Amino acid sequence: MNEPDSCSIFTHRRQGKIKKSAGEKNQRKQSGQRPAFRKVLQKSALAFLAMAPLLLGVIGLVGLFQVIVTPKMLASLFRGNSLFVDTLLGTLTGSIAAGNPIVSYLVGGELLDNGVSLYAVTAFILSWVTLGFVQLPAEVEVFGGEFTLYRNILSFIFTMFIAVLTTLTLQVLS
Amino acid sequence: MKKQQNKPFAFRGKYFFLSVCILYGVLFLFNRESAQPALLKSVHVLVRILPIFVVVILFTALLNYFLQPRQIAGYLGRDSSYMGWLWALAGGVISHGPMYAWYPLLEDLRSNGMRDELIVVFFASRTIKIPLLPIMIDHFGLKFTVVLSFYILIGALLQGYFYGLLKRSKVS
Repeated sequence: MNEPDSCSIFTHRRQGKIKKSAGEKNQRKQSGQRPAFRKVLQKSALAFLAMAPLLLGVIGLVGLFQVIVTPKMLASLFRGNSLFVDTLLGTLTGSIAAGNPIVSYLVGGELLDNGVSLYAVTAFILSWVTLGFVQLPAEVEVFGGEFTLYRNILSFIFTMFIAVLTTLTLQVLS
Repeated sequence: MKKQQNKPFAFRGKYFFLSVCILYGVLFLFNRESAQPALLKSVHVLVRILPIFVVVILFTALLNYFLQPRQIAGYLGRDSSYMGWLWALAGGVISHGPMYAWYPLLEDLRSNGMRDELIVVFFASRTIKIPLLPIMIDHFGLKFTVVLSFYILIGALLQGYFYGLLKRSKVS
């Protein structure tokens, strides 16, 4: 068997190194070349357009929920419950309701005036933004079922925790 | 991690949209008094968030133009340091509009290597709405707003951390 001498191995390795570095340079050159901004913008717009039916469906549901689930209806749920049930109800109703967060502040303020606990109102305000039944189908489609399930469970638990912690902290501070 | 690049164009959520249309159709037949204001409210919501959609498209394009996928992965991917968490937290706080308006951008970042934990942090920190803070202070007081915002930020980071734990425990 003919073994290559040390010199030829050295030369071979060097050639390999040179080839590799040239390849790397080419790759860097290629990756360094930016496509035209118009093309990138077009690609982004197309990706967004592809998602249009999904987003329009969610918006349609938001409108429907805003009419069906009225603030009056939500307020009527919080009557004579224990703190835990009120907090749970606050989280659930906040996640069912849809719309601008300002509405959640207005409804939350009304609930407080009507004697509903701060635990429930805080949970309601939080879950209004982070949880949402109407956007679940879109979230599943975009991020997958597992991500949506874990995120919403975590968000639900933390909403209740934060509501309790905030109220307790305020009680201690005052 | 899903790769969305170089996929042929196809509408997503067609059946979902169709279901909502059918729902409206049924409602128009049996309860026109509710269907009409619901449709008007939907149009109102769409008009209100159209500028946000434009911002999201522009932002996605700018990110893709100035940053290579590996750079995005460096900032928000598996090897990102605590800065990745802070970026996600800050992004969530400053992002405006409804959560679903940001899905396209986050999906794009995810396909470029953004960690799921950071998406969870982004969504969780969105409860703090900077433009609405004065209204919150007016309704519930400064002390409530400060305490709640503090817990939201801590809670957002913890949610991301626990999501990572859940995901890892499922893999192992």
